[in-house]
Amino acid sequence: MGKILAVHSYKGGTGKTLLSVNLAVTFAKHGKSVCLLDLDFRAPSLSTLLKIDKAECWLNDYLNAVCEINKVLMDLSDRIGNSGKLFVGLANPSTEAIRDMSAKDRKWEMRALGRLLALKTSLLNDKGFDYLILDTSPGLQYSSINAIVSADLVLVATTFDRSDVDGTRRMLRELYDLFEKKTEIVLNKVLDGSLRSGKDDVKTKLREVYQVPLLGIVPCFCDVLKAEGGVIFAQDKPDHPFTRIVGEMAKRIEDMS
Amino acid sequence: MSKEEVLAKKPLQVLEKIRENLEKLNEKVEVMIELQKHERKDIQQPLSDAPLDVMTLLSMPDHLRKTAMTICRLGRATANEVAEQTKRARAVESAYLNQLVIMGHLKKERNGRKAYFFVDRENQE
Repeated sequence: MGKILAVHSYKGGTGKTLLSVNLAVTFAKHGKSVCLLDLDFRAPSLSTLLKIDKAECWLNDYLNAVCEINKVLMDLSDRIGNSGKLFVGLANPSTEAIRDMSAKDRKWEMRALGRLLALKTSLLNDKGFDYLILDTSPGLQYSSINAIVSADLVLVATTFDRSDVDGTRRMLRELYDLFEKKTEIVLNKVLDGSLRSGKDDVKTKLREVYQVPLLGIVPCFCDVLKAEGGVIFAQDKPDHPFTRIVGEMAKRIEDMS
Repeated sequence: MSKEEVLAKKPLQVLEKIRENLEKLNEKVEVMIELQKHERKDIQQPLSDAPLDVMTLLSMPDHLRKTAMTICRLGRATANEVAEQTKRARAVESAYLNQLVIMGHLKKERNGRKAYFFVDRENQE
């Protein structure tokens, strides 16, 4: 059976969406069937990154029980050639939708959790997806914790920023551990200077700080910053070192039992 | 079936009936203990309007969260099925599940001899 991956972080701007999209494309290029869902209802960004401005139904509608998930999913498989399958479900980026999602109460969030948990049956079992990737909002937002509870594996994007390190450590102990979630760290935007003493030193340091497995270290690539979220490296730049690193991370996830 | 076979089966049926009654008694005792803890006399209404959302799950004691998470994952399950997942004893899970029912987080429904527990997501007002 397929797996649900939630991509989360303590702070914003750690590279969750970049990681989610590039992992999704990489899995699809490896011949897998992938579904990528934007659960960042406070700041939807997948629609911009994928250059899609209209949808028959948004993920908001699915969680509001207005439509079923097949109305939300868009088939982007043709963008990655004829290897695997890539479907996406987008969050509604309109201000009204963002305001509406921010004002939901506990009962709505409880029902939304039920709708997310049901995707395991409808997408992984019935439609045979290998991976369902949930891109989330940073921090302790309802939608993000719903995604974490639904996930089989949580990828935590983090940087060397001190407040991010402290917050990530707290979340590991007080969020992921409490839900008994399998968690892997992705250290992003690592500056050359930090890697000068060697990758192994960084890995050892990270294990000491977080005490959870490390999925990968992504150096700070000027090309990625310069692209300003307009390029999906795994799709458009197959030979770029960033694409290679994401490829290694995807392989590690595929090899997990 | 021979007379001997019928006679041999009877003690088994009696034992099965005793086990069934003991289980029912056990559940009633668990409910009474929980009611006593909350100084209540009946469970016609849940203790409070208590949706099982993720923040509620986070603030629960660890032992109850494990049980509640398992029900979230399974959707609808018996104490036996929950115990298989959590690797804890059936009686322990039964106590925790009944506690979650009294707290208003879960609903319980009987189908013959089996009691099923679930999150009533649709009917919470």
